[in-house]
Formats: sequence, C-alpha cells, structure tokens
Amino acid sequence: MSDKREDAKKRAILLKQLREAHKETVAHAQEKLKAQQAVRRDICKLMREEPKTVPEVAEASGIPAHEVLWHITAMKKYGLVVETGMCGEYYLYQRVKDGKK
Amino acid sequence: MPDKEPLPAEEIRIGVYTCQCGGNISDVVGCARVVKAAGELGNVVVSRTNLSLCSDAGQALIEADIKEKGVNRVVIGACAPSLHEQTFRGTVARAGLNPYFYNHVGIREQASWVHHDNPDGATAKAIRLMAAGVAKARLLEPLEPIRLKAQKHALVIGGGVAGLRAALDIARRGIKVTLIEKSPFLGGHMAQLEQVFPTGDGARDLLKALIQRVVSHANITLYTQAELVGVQGVVGDFTVQICQQSRGISDDRVTAVNVVAPANLPDEFNYGLTTRSVLYQPYPGCYPATPAIDWAHYEDGCLELNGEPLHLQNKPKTFDLAVGAVVVATGFRPYEPPIGEYGYGVLPEVITLPAFIRLLALAGEDERLEFNGRAVKNIAFVHCVGSRQLDGLNEPQPDGQVNDYCSRVCCTATLQATNELHQRYPAINVFDVYEDIRTYGRGHELYYNLASENRVRFLRFHDDELPEVLAAPAGEEHPALVWVTDYLTWGQSLELPVDLVVLAVGMMPNPVDDIIKLLKINAGSDRFLAEVHPKLRPVETAVPGVLLAGTAQGPMNIQESCAAASAAAAKVAVLLGQGYVELEPFVAIVNPALCDGSGECIKECCYEDAISMQPVMVNGTEKVTAVVCAANCAGCGVCVGACPNRAIDLQGWTLKQYEAMVDALAAEDLFALELA
Amino acid sequence: MKNLQVDALVVGGGIAGMQSALDLADQGFHVALVEKEASIGGKMISLSKVFPTLDCCSCITTPKMSAVAHHENITLLTYCEVVALEQNGASYRAQINKKPRYVNEESCTGCRLCEYACPLDLPSAFDMGLGAQRVIRVPFSTAVPQKAVLDIDNCILCGKCENVCPVADCIDFTQTAVTFEIHADAIVLATGFELTPTDAKAEYGGGKLRNVVDALTVERFLAPTGPYGHVLRPSDGKEPESIAYVQCAGSRDISLGVAYCSRICCMYAIKQAMLLSGALPLADITIYYMDIRTFGKGYEQFYQNARAMGIEFVRGKVARIHEDAAQNPVVRVEQIDDGSVVEREHDMVVLSVGMLPSYNPGLIYNVPVAADDGFVAQSAANISPCLTYQPGIFVAGTAAGPMDIVDSIVMAGAAAAETAAYLEERRAVGMAGNGRSPQTTSVKEVSYA
Ligand SMILES: Cc1cc2nc3c(=O)[nH]c(=O)nc-3n(C[C@H](O)[C@H](O)[C@H](O)COP(=O)(O)OP(=O)(O)OC[C@H]3O[C@@H](n4cnc5c(N)ncnc54)[C@H](O)[C@@H]3O)c2cc1C
Ligand SMILES: Cc1cc2nc3c(=O)[nH]c(=O)nc-3n(C[C@H](O)[C@H](O)[C@H](O)COP(=O)(O)OP(=O)(O)OC[C@H]3O[C@@H](n4cnc5c(N)ncnc54)[C@H](O)[C@@H]3O)c2cc1C
Ligand code: SF4
Ligand code: SF4
Ligand code: SF4
Repeated sequence: MSDKREDAKKRAILLKQLREAHKETVAHAQEKLKAQQAVRRDICKLMREEPKTVPEVAEASGIPAHEVLWHITAMKKYGLVVETGMCGEYYLYQRVKDGKK
Repeated sequence: MPDKEPLPAEEIRIGVYTCQCGGNISDVVGCARVVKAAGELGNVVVSRTNLSLCSDAGQALIEADIKEKGVNRVVIGACAPSLHEQTFRGTVARAGLNPYFYNHVGIREQASWVHHDNPDGATAKAIRLMAAGVAKARLLEPLEPIRLKAQKHALVIGGGVAGLRAALDIARRGIKVTLIEKSPFLGGHMAQLEQVFPTGDGARDLLKALIQRVVSHANITLYTQAELVGVQGVVGDFTVQICQQSRGISDDRVTAVNVVAPANLPDEFNYGLTTRSVLYQPYPGCYPATPAIDWAHYEDGCLELNGEPLHLQNKPKTFDLAVGAVVVATGFRPYEPPIGEYGYGVLPEVITLPAFIRLLALAGEDERLEFNGRAVKNIAFVHCVGSRQLDGLNEPQPDGQVNDYCSRVCCTATLQATNELHQRYPAINVFDVYEDIRTYGRGHELYYNLASENRVRFLRFHDDELPEVLAAPAGEEHPALVWVTDYLTWGQSLELPVDLVVLAVGMMPNPVDDIIKLLKINAGSDRFLAEVHPKLRPVETAVPGVLLAGTAQGPMNIQESCAAASAAAAKVAVLLGQGYVELEPFVAIVNPALCDGSGECIKECCYEDAISMQPVMVNGTEKVTAVVCAANCAGCGVCVGACPNRAIDLQGWTLKQYEAMVDALAAEDLFALELA
Repeated sequence: MKNLQVDALVVGGGIAGMQSALDLADQGFHVALVEKEASIGGKMISLSKVFPTLDCCSCITTPKMSAVAHHENITLLTYCEVVALEQNGASYRAQINKKPRYVNEESCTGCRLCEYACPLDLPSAFDMGLGAQRVIRVPFSTAVPQKAVLDIDNCILCGKCENVCPVADCIDFTQTAVTFEIHADAIVLATGFELTPTDAKAEYGGGKLRNVVDALTVERFLAPTGPYGHVLRPSDGKEPESIAYVQCAGSRDISLGVAYCSRICCMYAIKQAMLLSGALPLADITIYYMDIRTFGKGYEQFYQNARAMGIEFVRGKVARIHEDAAQNPVVRVEQIDDGSVVEREHDMVVLSVGMLPSYNPGLIYNVPVAADDGFVAQSAANISPCLTYQPGIFVAGTAAGPMDIVDSIVMAGAAAAETAAYLEERRAVGMAGNGRSPQTTSVKEVSYA
C-alpha cells in the first residue's frame, strides 16, 4: 500500500517537473483544452434534448458551421455524439445521454 | 496411402469471424446478425466481427483467440478465397495451428456484392454460407503442403527487350535460363526504333548493350528460330519441348555464299519499304550476326557456294528441357489497319507510325524527305488508330471485338516522331490529329510541349466524329486530304491537304494461342495475357510458375516492359531459389482398403500421370490399387465421382465435408437463426 | 537500440517500399525497413477503393503491412529516419534516429484506453484535418504497428492516459530520441510523393475556400473509416448534390513549375466520381479536363463506363474558382468545344491535385534528383529503371516520379530484382560485407557502443 503511495508521489513529482520543462507547450495545450471544453459545452447543450443539424447548432450558438462540424465529428468518433437520421440534406446529431461512452 | 491413424479425440472449438471488409460486406450484410447466428452453432466458442480482419489488428484478434480461448478451428467469412485465404492460413499457422484448420467462406463476392439490392436476403445467405463453413470446419483434417524439388532453371519465351531483361535478371540470381526466340534475331520491335523516348537514346545501342550482357552470361542458353511445342508437369518441374528451325548457313561459309535469286522480298524490318534477299540480316550489328535463311521463300537453286548450286534443307530439331518456371515475353504486334481504314491500303500516301519511323531512318542524311518519289511538305499524324475503339462506332476486328483499350505508347511515340521530323526537316508542316494527348510518363510531357513550340498544328476530334482520309482531286498539289471536325477551333470542319498521312497505330498482342493452350494460361477480354490480380500479383498468371513480362500482357513502353520483366525475374528467384516449391495438398487420395482396382478413376482423369494402378500392401497382402501422384493431380475431383466404391476422395474437400455443408445449407432450423 | 547488420535497407514503408522489402525477404535476404511515420502504409492506406478493380484499399494494403511486420527476414523500424550515411567500403553505414513515441513500443498492446481517456482533441492529419484525434492515439485503426504515439507538443501532461494504461510503465513522458546504426550492402529508396498543396494556386481560392477540397480528402470521405462516415461538405456538413472535379490542378502547369503530368489524377477522379455516384445516387458530377489520360490496362474501359454512367465530362480549363454567399464554389471555365466561358456553381469542388517529390536524397545519400521534376534521377531509365546514379542505391515507386499503385508495385518488384542481383554478384566476387550467403545467416546484432 505504502509502496503504491510512494510511486504515485514520485509520479506526481515527475509530472510536475515535466510540466515545468515543457512549460510553453503545456500552457498552450491547456488553453486549447479550455476553449474546446467551453465550445463543446455550448454545442452539447443544444443537442442534449433533441437531435440537431450542423447549421441549426451553428445558428443557435453563433459558432461557425465548419467548427461545429469538426467538434461533432470528434465527439462522434469517441462515442459522445450519435447520428440519428437526416433532415433534408443534413444529418442529425444528438449528444449521448449518459455522458462518457 | 495406408489408413490414417485416428486423430486423438480433441474437443473441436471453432472461432467464427465475420469481416466487414471496410464496408464492402457490412454495407449490405447485417454482420451483427451473422455473428449472432454463427455464435449459436455447435462447437462455436467465439464469434466476432471486425472492420478488416486481414489487417494486422484483425489477424491479431484471431491469434489471441487461438492462444487464449483455445480456438482450434477457424472459419472466416470475408472476400473471395483467392484474395486472402493464404493470408489467413498464415495467421492460423503463426498461432500454432495446422494451417489447414482454417476454412474461408466468401460472403463478399457471394453475398454483399451480388445482392446489394436485398440486404435481408444477403444476410440470410451469408448466415447459410457461414453455417456450411462451420459444418465443414468440424471435419477439417490437418494437412501438409506437398513439397517438390524445383529445377533451378527457367524458360523465357521471346527475345524482345522484356525477354532479354527477364533472362538477365534471373541469370544474375544464379538460376539457369533458356531463352527462346521465334525469329532468327534478338531484340523484338525495339530494334526497329531509332531515338526512343524519354531519354533520346538510340534503341539499337541500348539493345546491343543488353544483348551483350545476356549472351555473355554463363547461366543463359539462347535458341533463336525456336518455339515452344509441348509442356508437361507443374511448377518447379515442367518438361518443355522446344522446336528449333535450321539457320541454314554456318558462319564459316557465309562469306562464300552467293545469292542468285533477286533480293525482292519485302523486308519486314522496314515494314516493306525496302526489299531483302532470301538470306538476310535485319540490320548491321544485329545478334546473332550470322544471316538466316528465310525458309518460307527459299527455293532450291537460289544460293551458290563457290559457284556451285547449294542445296539446303530446313531440318527442325526438337528437344526436351526440364525447367521450374516459364516467363512469357512474346510481345506485341503493331495494329494492322484493314484496307480502307483512314485510306490505308487504298492511298499509297497512308502509312503506319512504325513504318514512318523506318522511313525517317532510311532517309538518312537526305536534304529533304521523300515519299513515293515526291517531296513531303505537309504531313498529318492521326492518333488512336486501332485503339480506344467504341462498340457501334468502330468496325469490329475480325474476332468481332473492338480494341477498346488505349495503347499507351503511340501518343508519345508520335510526338517524338514529329519532333525528330521538325529537327531534321524544319520546313515540313505537321498536323497532329488527336482525341486526347496522353503524354503521361516521366519526361513525356516535354515531348508535347516541344511539339507545340515546334508549331505542330494540333487538331482535336471527338470519338463520334472521326477524321476521314480521302484522295485529293486530280491535279491538286498534295495527293491526300484529311477531314477533321476540329474542337480546338470550336467544331470547324477543316480540310488538310497533305503528302503523307501517318497512322499512330496501337498495339495488339502477338498471336500466341498455341502458348496459351500449352501453358493453360488465359488472355483477357483485350486479348492480352491476363495477370491474376493487377495489384496483388501483377506479373503472375493463374498457373503457378508461369509469369508474364512486357507487352504480351498489355501495352507498355520500354521502361515499363523492363520493370515488368525484372519483377517477373524476382518472382522466379523467390520460387526457384530455395530449390523446392510447395503445392496445396488438395489432391485426390485413395483408400486402398476400399479400392477394387477397377480403374474407373483413371478413365476419367484428364491429367497425365496423375493416377495409375500399382501394387501396394494392404493389411499384409499385396493388392493392385489406384495410386495418386500428388505432383500431377490437379485436384479437380472427377475421379471422386467416378469411383463406384467411394474409395477415392479429395484431401481438404472430402465427400463427408461436402455432405455436411449441403446439410447445413438446407437445414430447417437455420431459418430461426436467419430471422433472429 | 541495437545496431543492425542487414543485406538491404529499404527507406519508406509505402506500398513500393513494402513490396520491395517483401520481394527481397522472400528471396532470403535480410531487410531493414525504415519508415519515418509511426505506421507503415504510406499514402495508399488512406485511400478508399482503388482503380481499376475498385477493391477496397485496405484489403490490398493491410495484409501487406501485416506480412512485413511478421516476416522473419524483415526488421521493421517505424518513426525512424536515416540522418547520416557513410560509405563503408562497398557497403553502407546508416545512422538512424528513432523519434520518441513516449510509449514503450514493446509493451504497448494497442488497447486505445489511453486514447479514450485523453481529454484533448486535435485535428487529424490522417483525415486531412477534418476529423479528430487525441493527443495520444493509435495512428489509425489498421496501423502497423498497433502502438500508441503521444504528441508531446500538444500534451498537457495531465497523466490521465498513464492512469488508465493497463501495462506498467508503458507510457513514458521522459522518452528521448535514440540513435543506432544499420549496416547494409544495398539501399532501396521508396520515399514516395507529396501532393500539390491546396493553397498552391491563388486562382483556385488559395486554399481558403472551405468547399474546395483536394482529392485525398474525398478519399477519406469515401473510406469507411473516414471522418464523417458520409460524404459531406466541410463548410456545414451538407450532403453535396453537385460535385465538380478540376483536373490537372497543380500538374501540367508551368506557372507552378510543374510541367509534367501526374499520371494518376485522371483515373482517381473518374474512380471517385463513380464511387460518389454510388454513395450519392442523386448527385450530379462534372469533370473539367484538358485531356483524359486513362492509359493503363483496363483504364480506358473504366473511363467509358464512367461516361455511360452519366458522369459529365467537360473539356475545359478552369480559370478561376470563387465562392458565393452560401459558400458554394463557383467555377469559371473556358469550354474548349465551343470557346465559351461559363460560370457554374457546385456544392463542392475537388481539386485533382498532382504529385510532387517528397524527399530529396541528395544530401544524405548523394543520390541526385532530376532537375526538371525533382524526383530521383534514373541513370538508365529505359532498360534499368530502378538504377540511380549511386551504385548500390536503387529506387522504387513514386520516388522516381508519378505512378499509380500497379506501376509502383511492379517497379518495387523490379527494384528487388536489381538489388538481389547486385547483392549476389558482389558475393560472387567476394565483395560482400561478410561473405554471407542469403539463405544461411540470421540477422546479426552488434551491440551499440
Ligand atoms: C511505333 C512505336 C514506337 C515506339 N517508341 C517507343 C519509344 O520511343 N520509347 C519506348 O520506351 N517505347 C517505345 N515503343 C514501345 C516498345 O517498342 C515496346 O515497349 C517494346 O518493344 C516491347 O518489348 P517486348 O519485349 O515486350 O515485345 P517485342 O518487342 O514485341 O518482343 C517480343 C519478342 O518475342 C518473340 N516472340 C513472339 N512470339 C513468340 C513465340 N511464340 N515464341 C518465341 N518467341 C516469340 C518476338 O519475335 C519478339 O522478338 C514504341 C512502340 C511502337 C509501336
Ligand atoms: C487522391 C489519390 C487517389 C489515388 N487513388 C489511386 C487508385 O485508386 N489506384 C491506384 O493505383 N493509385 C492511386 N493513387 C496513387 C497511389 O497513392 C500511389 O501510387 C502510391 O501510394 C505510391 O506508393 P509509394 O510507396 O511510392 O509512395 P507513398 O505512399 O508516398 O509512400 C512513401 C513512404 O515513405 C515514407 N517516407 C518518405 N520519406 C521518408 C524518409 N526520408 N525516411 C523514411 N520514410 C520516408 C513516407 O512516410 C511513406 O510512408 C492515388 C493517389 C491519390 C493522391
Ligand atoms: S496513347 Fe494516345 S494515340 Fe495511343 S491509343 Fe492512347 S490516346 Fe490514342
Ligand atoms: S497526459 Fe497528454 S496524452 Fe496523456 S491524457 Fe493527458 S493530454 Fe492526453
Ligand atoms: S493524369 Fe490527367 S489530371 Fe493528372 S496531370 Fe495528367 S492529364 Fe492532368
């Protein structure tokens, strides 16, 4: 047990050192992550209750349509969004209910 | 073969895998339903689907199930066995199973592709096929490939540039080569070219260097005027019969021989633009240098030796060779337009591009280019003659088919000719009449650009408005007229008065029906010899050990012919380098206990020496029964049907296995699974 | 990393490099295959279906990748580059730099748990930036090797991947590049090609028009593993009803310094047009072209089938592309047949981009490239197409100029034949590094000093 805790501690220290060493890229990536999370929150909110098309989400959120498409594509790849059908020339997407997978 | 020992009773644990084939299958077949149905069949312990089982990850999945889940028989529903049966046998073997504990079920070619309009039906059919595959898998037996000693000797047919290249590359790998050439001289059509694209090298200079390497290589034996007349055996150990004509005159007598008959035979080397004698040499510096007798035109008395009439006879000799592999490099022939096509054979001023290349060569240092005794001032080249033909728009060939392919070399060869023409005779006006210019290769586009700079006048036709060539009215300055509806000037109808029309004729394969029959290989719908698969096995025929090189397979330029020839040589080296070849064990096998020696099987068998009657020992007593020679058996199964005693069976495709498969295909209780 | 002694070093793990390696290894020669990316496969692995047979591309590529990985005579080295080469008598000594994956290549199982745990999505180059990938990921579903790779420059070092990784000490943020040597008697260059960048031509929007894409992007749209799983246009995800191809976009264009024809784009455009009409039965597809160059075996028939299917072929030079308010690309084309200039609106325009040389082996290998096209120069182009100007160094596939898969594979076989013969002949005169014969020895490992 204590071994494990010891290891975890060592790891934490190592990660901290590494973050220091890669300060700039880490900061940059963190910013990216924050922005991504914010945008995703907005997009997901709109698709939680009922499925939406890309232009619908774009219009409601003010995020450019091509960006919306990219985020939906990404979330679809990792199982967070599913396609539910079509509306005219556009596919409909919905946020998966129970979160993660 | 004696009775097999019964296998140790082992629990049969079948793994069933349904490949989605990257959508090729799963777009139509409900793979999840197939997985579920297969999972409910007896002995099946694992049933899975994967996007692409042939990928490394897919194969790893199967390996893991064998090692960790104790799967000992594998059934895969995927593409056709010809594509990946071997791949998966390798997978199974890597995991430690006998490679023949594997059964491949085609659900792409047999379900998703043919029934794409009926997904439910396709799924039901896939389930049936998989059930049959599982039924067979329960009865699979461990097999070993048949290993045969391989002759380290290859036969190359055709002494054009492709055959020469193939022979050299095989020989360089320490394998003996016999090269046979039908004509009396080496070099094929390349010898008739002058400057060749894309390098501008002299064709015969390149050939000479290559031939020098070939004839001085210790591993290569060369026969000119020789043809293949017989083939027996299989990969690794073919026996071939070669028939060679007499050359007629030996080196030491050549200078003393005098030709009495006039030299009035059309010289094929110059496409009939010149004549030659009955004892001939195509060009100075050819190989072999010894002239040959043209037996077709030889008449007794046409030759003298030291003033005495010389009596010669063609005494063809035939001999056998044992070779492990055969490379077919029989090349092409230029398309010969029928009389009247673009005025060919009607107007003397219409000639083909290969002939024009000879005309230019013969003109030598002449100040001006002459044809039929008149100076050439205007000349028109017409592309795609005998190529890119369309059903309904073009006259079919004598065999009823049109040449619907592009001949690939004629565009650049035409432009090379126009450029050479311009360089030597800048005053000549050149018209180039085309549909598309296909200067696709490395350095080819430069020929097109140069032609444009040289003010070649390009005219473009559409395939439904072909140009026409007519005689000019009497008294006109130029004897021929070319009519073109030209879409570079927005569809204007133009009339070109010219002194010479050059038809950029395409390629046709050399007629090799005899070779096709002897080697049991195939030609494609374009009549060129067919490869197994353009990407997976681009230089192999469907007959193991028979390979293709050069334009026998399809139009190619020199570079492409040489690349194909070297690739074929690499395959020969792989095949024969180890000293043995392995064949699939799917051959007939006799149960001597049941065989009554009636020989019904021998009567039906179509393959020489595949099955014979021989004394064998059965339970201590000698008895004459059928015995299969695995090397010669093609595994066709005719004998199985012929045997009244069910004493003969096919390894890997036994009657029992078939029965089990048929039962599964017809099983009532599968309907429930299909609908599930 | 241990030093390696092999018969031949193959540089580049695209279809040409893989085929050369396999054809050499099958003859008993020991081969090291060096690929700069994290997976072998080259450009071909990102294609959908391939002309002229329309087989699924991974059905052709992935088994070859697997065969390379498992062949007993092939040592596969991914994420590696040759950084220096020294001629050592008649053989070569290559210094290899292996980039850090930040994942232990031996122990990673490719389970992708780390990928799912990683919080940050990045545009995926494999999907031309239109799909996403995580900071740590297995490069793509059929990658060989199936091992994760971490992009340290975009990593926040949160440690989530390490927490979920089931293998002890597999993810290693401290990994660094390693160098080692490969001693080889011969080298095959199969470094492939690059594509004309979409911003090459200002007249075609200079890469700024979202619905003007290159043909490789369409390959991804058509592939089952593609970013959208459908054919959608990138600006807003609309299913396009009208798609146009602009041929020779980047080839046969002196203004770009590319005088040559790229040889594959006519055929891939026709192929994609056929596949698109399958995927979008109602869509109109137009191909604007100067010459259609379907010269290969079966290719002309392929073209005629496409015409019969109703794909519109327009002889014309596209002068300009701009977009309207709805981001629909508008194509201005000079039609050759009647000389008129028209503007036509489409939902999506595909640039049939050409092939450019990818790697210049001049510096390290002392192998010259041709002055006019930049591809590896062939010293005997007609009779020995795989020879370069450097003895013992051969070339295969698109490193020697544009060609399709069939021609690349054939040339790869030819390069294997040339290389094998070269090795054999050197052995015969006793020049081989160690006088080894191909059938009898195993890979020798010299420990790295
Ligand atoms: C007009 C024209 C111009 C060209 N210009 C160029 C150019 O500039 N650059 C370029 O790269 N390419 C050019 N080519 C293409 C080039 O000629 C071919 O690529 C090349 O000659 C093909 O060689 P091959 O060995 O495949 O066939 P071939 O040259 O036809 O050789 C085949 C050989 O096999 C022999 N043979 C046939 N049947 C049998 C049999 N049954 N048994 C034994 N032997 C047999 C034949 O006698 C012949 O010697 C041109 C072609 C044409 C038509
Ligand atoms: C849009 C598109 C569609 C196509 N469709 C078809 C089709 O349907 N049918 C067809 O036949 N062809 C098609 N092609 C052509 C086909 O992609 C090529 O012919 C083929 O991929 C060429 O393979 P290659 O191995 O020569 O090059 P590449 O695939 O480029 O492989 C080269 C490899 O070398 C690696 N490398 C490069 N430099 C180095 C270095 N210095 N060190 C180590 N490694 C290095 C690269 O990472 C790469 O893995 C298409 C091409 C495109 C662009
Ligand atoms: S190469 Fe040119 S002339 Fe020859 S068939 Fe093809 S398009 Fe016609
Ligand atoms: S440490 Fe880096 S790679 Fe790992 S989960 Fe975090 S961001 Fe992703
Ligand atoms: S292949 Fe076709 S599209 Fe490509 S450069 Fe050549 S002519 Fe242009």
